[in-house]
Amino acid sequence: MTDDFFACMGLPRRFDLDRAAIEGRYLELSRELHPDRFIGGSSAERRAALERSSALNEAYRGLRDPIRRAEHLCKLGGIDLDSDARSGGAPTPSQAFLVEMIEARELLAEATTPGEREALREKIEAAAEERLAAAAAALEGGMIRDAAEALVIHRYLRRFLDEIDGAQH
Amino acid sequence: MAYSDKVIQHYEQPRNVGSLDKNDESVGTGIVGAPACGDVMKLQIRVEDGVITDAKFKTYGCGSAIASSSLVTEWVKGMSVEQAMKIQNSQIAEELSLPPVKIHCSVLAEDAIKAAILDYQQKQGKPAVSAAE
Repeated sequence: MTDDFFACMGLPRRFDLDRAAIEGRYLELSRELHPDRFIGGSSAERRAALERSSALNEAYRGLRDPIRRAEHLCKLGGIDLDSDARSGGAPTPSQAFLVEMIEARELLAEATTPGEREALREKIEAAAEERLAAAAAALEGGMIRDAAEALVIHRYLRRFLDEIDGAQH
Repeated sequence: MAYSDKVIQHYEQPRNVGSLDKNDESVGTGIVGAPACGDVMKLQIRVEDGVITDAKFKTYGCGSAIASSSLVTEWVKGMSVEQAMKIQNSQIAEELSLPPVKIHCSVLAEDAIKAAILDYQQKQGKPAVSAAE
């Protein structure tokens, strides 16, 4: 059973949420659950508030970042991107894309100047942004599978961006 | 998480890193990815008279993924294609003492060697087809 971060925060289950609205809701609920308000309560009440508060913190972390929000929507829709399971796990990208990812690494290894690395970085970053936008559009249209496919590509691209940044140091 | 000594050995001194000519008729190439973490692995074999005479890999991923592919390239050299096809991820995981959270790395290496063999067999079956992707 997946915890529903949207239900936890009383927010509509959708990708297109305003960051300020998420934050506002978090602060509001945090105040309601503040331990000071339960000083006179029973130990069961105090414990329940603490548990609610910890669930709220987790939900907030999961929703404020657009990437995690999108991945959470996929999980609620039945596709868990953290799983390699053939059914219900992260979809496998095309062979052509994997070949591209290997070739991009070879380009990075051959890049000798910071300018070449930067050009490659910008290209990959643009591709990643484009995939996230595609995932957002798919989620707004209720197409979980399409969103998950775009988000998997996004993960590969992000991993590669981390490598480029590592190589620059 | 602590890596086993064997993983560290393969990670620090990986065997057989590199590429073979993917257009060569005697070379099979397998490229696989782990969608959940973004790892990619390329494993290539050269086959002469049904025996794997060379193997190379390039893996972009964690230490366990690199070690798994490095180990497989070591193992398959000198094996027949049929023997290599029988390599199981459990053997890789056991040899490297991979913890449960890293088992998927050994699965990736098994998938990669199988994909490379399949690619080689397809080339042999249809020699007229070019290696267009």
